[in-house]
Amino acid sequence: MKVIMKNLGKKYEGRENFTLRNIDLEIDDQDFCVILGPSGCGKTTLLRMIAGLNSITEGDLYFDDRRVNTIPPKDRDIAMVFQSYALYPHMTVYDNMSFSLVMRKERKKIIDERVKEAAQLLQIEDYLYAKPADISGGQRQRVALGRAIVRKPSVFLMDEPLSNLDAKLREHMRVELVRLHKSLGTTSIYVTHDQTEAMTMATKIILLDGGKIQQVGKPEEFYNKPENIFVARFIGSPTINIIRGKYRDGKFVSETDTITLTPSKEDAELLKDYEGKGISIGIRPERFESGGEFGDTFEATIDVIEMLGKEKTLYARLKDGSDLVISTPGHYDYKEGETHTFGFDINAIHYFESETGERINR
Amino acid sequence: MTLFGGKKKKDKGLYLSDKPPLTVAGIIGIVTSYTILFAWVVAIVWPLFQMVVSAFNGQQQQYIMGNENFEFSLRHFEFLYNETYYLTWVKNTLFIAISTALLTIVMVSFTGYAYSRYRFKGRKASLMAIMLIQTIPTFAGITAFFTMHSIVSSVIPAFSRQMMLILIYAGPAIASNTFILKGYIDSVSTELDDAAKIDGCSNFDIYRIIIMPIARPMLTIIALWSFIGPFMDYLLAKVLLTSPSTYTLAVGLFTLVSDFRTMNQPAFAAGGLLTAIPIVIMFMVLQKQLVSGLTSGSVKG
Repeated sequence: MKVIMKNLGKKYEGRENFTLRNIDLEIDDQDFCVILGPSGCGKTTLLRMIAGLNSITEGDLYFDDRRVNTIPPKDRDIAMVFQSYALYPHMTVYDNMSFSLVMRKERKKIIDERVKEAAQLLQIEDYLYAKPADISGGQRQRVALGRAIVRKPSVFLMDEPLSNLDAKLREHMRVELVRLHKSLGTTSIYVTHDQTEAMTMATKIILLDGGKIQQVGKPEEFYNKPENIFVARFIGSPTINIIRGKYRDGKFVSETDTITLTPSKEDAELLKDYEGKGISIGIRPERFESGGEFGDTFEATIDVIEMLGKEKTLYARLKDGSDLVISTPGHYDYKEGETHTFGFDINAIHYFESETGERINR
Repeated sequence: MTLFGGKKKKDKGLYLSDKPPLTVAGIIGIVTSYTILFAWVVAIVWPLFQMVVSAFNGQQQQYIMGNENFEFSLRHFEFLYNETYYLTWVKNTLFIAISTALLTIVMVSFTGYAYSRYRFKGRKASLMAIMLIQTIPTFAGITAFFTMHSIVSSVIPAFSRQMMLILIYAGPAIASNTFILKGYIDSVSTELDDAAKIDGCSNFDIYRIIIMPIARPMLTIIALWSFIGPFMDYLLAKVLLTSPSTYTLAVGLFTLVSDFRTMNQPAFAAGGLLTAIPIVIMFMVLQKQLVSGLTSGSVKG
């Protein structure tokens, strides 16, 4: 099912400002759409509006052609997995999973079939008659998923479902959720603040901040073509390096003149209008080179090294005291306190207007 | 035996307690606190023991005497059964207690749920008002209660004094327990309500199927307390109930020790002993419901 939002807005009772405003989105059928954003950006509010748990202040919400603004949650053909799982503590796992079907007065035999089927899919058959208190966090998570699956919903909503799991289990469940999404063939909308989850699972990412959509697109677009400085900083770990400066005589010069950079031909074309204006460059930690085209290099002293195995993250300090994060393959030999010369991969530079933070080289 | 013995031997000489070793001051402290505790226990148990013994002592006459003679007999119980309205009193008390408990439970479960889950105009103000009104003792309104009763009973003759008493007992119980239950339901995650809503529950379904079963331990305690209340109260019942056949246990039994014409202290002791029975039964019935930690496992990992 398609989920279409037209100029959606939400204002809570007793609040001065709109929490969300002017949200225009189209989520296609069978999309795995991740709503990403820092805490307090309104992403959970948006999800709850889609679920019907929060009212819609302005705008329209469509499921395919049906306007669902005033339709109660149970009639929207959705299922939701909550951050805290929200299992009914006084019911067994089986009762938890069958509850929605029982409320719908489905036939007993069908209920039993569906619950058993979901339990098999999620490998929780052994605990069907245990209470939620008696099973582990990972298992509860599966029960919460199972409870959503048995309804066979058209839209699958998830509100940070993995945030209460430990790191290893989270990694495992990420893959499993994607697999589940593919096998169910539903539209999934997933809320998270974790950019790794978004990058690994999504077919479409929506990045929210301050109640506004910052960027919509595929994960690789987010990484390679961030629309603004906020997006660039939010996606990617370690965080992208942003250097403020000016565009002067066809070159980027940083504020303290420690870094000079000649843009590639295509970028230079786009930067023509910015002569003399303040621009910022963004460069991913892995896109530094030892030499670099045009010989634009700089010297940096390595402050701290984080050894991650497959790569090393170098926290380097420039002559003017500003910091850069550089990541290199793990087998390269760097030591703390050493001074090295680095250059740029000029095809991987993101140019932003300093004032608005908007991307220049689209 | 050998297993345990073996283990003990192995641990010999090892200091296994997590607390620091006792000092002299510590030992003195422990001895003192145990002395106080024992004195306390004696102060509670001795009168109870005397009551039980006197109730079964056929040698005791009208006044309980501290004598050595003991002869087992159920004479005093027979007296209660044959010479007084004891069974009627039991019936009256049970009627009042059960009605009070039911009324309280039903009302409190609604008010507690509403105050916890809904935001409405005057919510804070009314909660505050409830709390402040609590500070005035119920007995202060006794003349008003009389008037209210005579007005209502003139319209509905079936409205008895006992029913008035039930309302008087239930009123403050509802008010004070609303707070307790609201607090308890507040601790239940609202995500459960959301999940239930998506699963197809109406607001009343959420109350009935989700919240009430989770609040059961608290509801049980509230029921128990409001059940015990009428057994313990003397003052209101004494003032409001005038004929011996409408007395509650507390008022009825008191006639056995308050007036020298009807004085029978051993029978009073026997009656007091029997009073405990319904309460004990109630405890045993409700014990199973008092499982704690019912909310665990619903949220987080």
